[in-house]
Amino acid sequence: MSLNLTWYLIVSAIIFTIGVTGVLIRRNPLIIFMSIELMLNAVNLSFIAFSHYLNSVDGQMFVFLVLTVAAAEVVVGLAIIVSIFRTRRDIDVDDMNVLRG
Amino acid sequence: MTNLTVWVLLMPLLGFIILGLIGRAMSRRGILAVALGASGLAFLFTAISFLSMLGTTPASARFSDQVYYTWLNSGITVGEAPLTISFGLLFDPLSAIMLMVVTGVGFLIHIYSAGYMEDDPGFWRFFCYMNFFIFAMILLVSADNFLFLLIGWGLVGLASFLLIGFWYTRRAAVAASQKALVINVIGDFGLMIAIFLIFKHYGVLNYFTNGNGDIGVFNQVTAGGIPTISTTIICLLLFLACTAKSAQLPLYMWLPDAMEGPTPVSALIHAATMVTAGVYLVARANPLFQVSPTALIVVAITGGITALFAASIAVFQLDIKRVLAYSTISQLGYMFMGEGAHNYSGGIFLLTEHAFFKALLFLAAGAVIHSLGGEQDMREMGGLRYRLKITFWTFLIGALAISGIPPLAGFWSKDDILSSLLANATTGGGRVFYLLWVIGILTAGLTAFYMFRLFFGIFAGGYRGTGSTEHAQEEEEDDIKHGHQPRSDYEINESPAIMTVPMIILAVLSIVGGFVGSFALFGDLSWHPFATFLNPVFTNPTWTNVPVQVPVDTLSIGWLSTGLSVGLSLIGILGAWTLYRNGFFYKENKNPFYQLVLQKFYVDEFFILVLIRPALWTGRTANRLLERDVLDGGSRSIGKVFIGASGLLRRIQTGYVRNYALAILIGALLIIVYYAVRG
Repeated sequence: MSLNLTWYLIVSAIIFTIGVTGVLIRRNPLIIFMSIELMLNAVNLSFIAFSHYLNSVDGQMFVFLVLTVAAAEVVVGLAIIVSIFRTRRDIDVDDMNVLRG
Repeated sequence: MTNLTVWVLLMPLLGFIILGLIGRAMSRRGILAVALGASGLAFLFTAISFLSMLGTTPASARFSDQVYYTWLNSGITVGEAPLTISFGLLFDPLSAIMLMVVTGVGFLIHIYSAGYMEDDPGFWRFFCYMNFFIFAMILLVSADNFLFLLIGWGLVGLASFLLIGFWYTRRAAVAASQKALVINVIGDFGLMIAIFLIFKHYGVLNYFTNGNGDIGVFNQVTAGGIPTISTTIICLLLFLACTAKSAQLPLYMWLPDAMEGPTPVSALIHAATMVTAGVYLVARANPLFQVSPTALIVVAITGGITALFAASIAVFQLDIKRVLAYSTISQLGYMFMGEGAHNYSGGIFLLTEHAFFKALLFLAAGAVIHSLGGEQDMREMGGLRYRLKITFWTFLIGALAISGIPPLAGFWSKDDILSSLLANATTGGGRVFYLLWVIGILTAGLTAFYMFRLFFGIFAGGYRGTGSTEHAQEEEEDDIKHGHQPRSDYEINESPAIMTVPMIILAVLSIVGGFVGSFALFGDLSWHPFATFLNPVFTNPTWTNVPVQVPVDTLSIGWLSTGLSVGLSLIGILGAWTLYRNGFFYKENKNPFYQLVLQKFYVDEFFILVLIRPALWTGRTANRLLERDVLDGGSRSIGKVFIGASGLLRRIQTGYVRNYALAILIGALLIIVYYAVRG
């Protein structure tokens, strides 16, 4: 049984689904962030797999881009979380609903 | 003939502009220099022009109509030429007299105001408005066409509004200024319609043929050709404007309330000058009025009724300025009565003399009020003859003058009008003139009575004010006993010279001012310099069967008229002396007639009931029914639709992060499903 593309994509899909579930059901923003990272990396995995399968480096280029953006996003997101924690002493996302209509 | 009218007009305008722009930042001395300089120079230029006019012969050369620029050149043609309105200034004997009165009395009152308004925080504003008023009044009396007359007419109304409401923190003053403005606008409306009609019938608005070659209204009138009925309508509308501006029945109510303004304003605007604008207008438009006997009779009767009506109200007033206000209305009625009897020069003569003695009376009353720290109620006065000596004597002269005691100014002018009324009655002018003559004589008696009631009320007997002089002395001694510097305001002191000097000048004018009047009674029928000077304005060859001059043919009738009026005046004075020589007294009187007159015939109450209440009711009802439910309700329900719809949409925005994330997920899944199904 060779390790062909399908397996990679199945793993990627599973990881992505774990990430989505985490974002939807967890209340701690740190965990949500980690779940988002899971989603991004699931996508990265499928990029790499396609890249290898298609013999093209374009997919790997995208991975670098995604990693960079993810890093920047974490910086901004953590900064927001810290400042929310400073003002509210609490970072439960279910309590953050001031944008309610 | 030297004609400096344009400089006369520009000086107060310049003063107004300077004070209006930088007056707030100027020192009091600077403000006075500008304001007094402007009005003083205006008077100087007027006097130069006037003297130059006196030196010009023949009388027909005493006419100068200077057009400065064409303001409006419309294409609308009525008759031959298109309507052109040019700004021009007319300088003839009538406007010369008016300018002398306006600038002369205006200058004196400016000087007086420097003392009267000394401590007022609105010092610069006051003089700014005063200069503005002088400018507007000069424009009114020297304009050479009806349109600029209307502009001046409106601007003096504005100046009056601003100055009545000068103390704008006082509710009564603001209400009075609004009342004055609203009632005056009724008159302005009449004048405007009259001007439209004049344009419709004559195609021009200038009085006389001017340099542009527009044939003047009056020149066309004398040439004939316009139906009398149109002229009558025009004249009645003009006179409507006069009743508002000159406070005649039925539009007089604003003038007594106008006394809320500072006293110099009452003296200048609401006694000497602005309110006489109506008398000026009738005299100016005399060629029109001469064509329409109906309009003239209306003028005479309105004047007569007003004269008697206002005089009777004045008898029972307690506020010294209100007595003088009703007296002004009464005297204006007298002037209109004279003009209605074709005696225009008599009307202008009384206007001039009235400007002297009524300004004097107001200034003297102002000096009394100033000395008493703002007290205007006669019940709180009395015994001031020793304390305010100059005021006492000048007031006495003014009171004698207005009562028509010979040889003071009022006598000559009043006699002039009375004899012309009698002359009209005896020469077929209509029986109504007998009635008006009787009214005139009765009014003379009433005038003397209320004026001396006021005089004794202020000066006779003992001081009745709450801060009585004995009390003041005790306070003063108390202060000295306790080692304090005694306060200066315990004593009632005469006003400073800056206020008394204008009063003295006006008193002298009130004594000698009448000598330019008629000496017909003493057998010399031709001696009447005033009428001789003015008559070129009032004489016209095409007038028929109207006694323009005052032809008291038989001296005995003249003597009868004079004797009766002077006799009744003396009786009036005697009555006041009998009642009030030991001081004014006031006691409640439940007599309904007395109450009727005391409450000014309930005219204000009547208008509140008939006009103001219904207007307010209509407004409130419309507000409740139309505004709130239909107009407001309509526009509000459009809003409600959007509020309701957005209320539904709003529910989606829960604010929970996970809901948004779920929405994104569902959206992404839907897109995937879409493409999967489509293949």
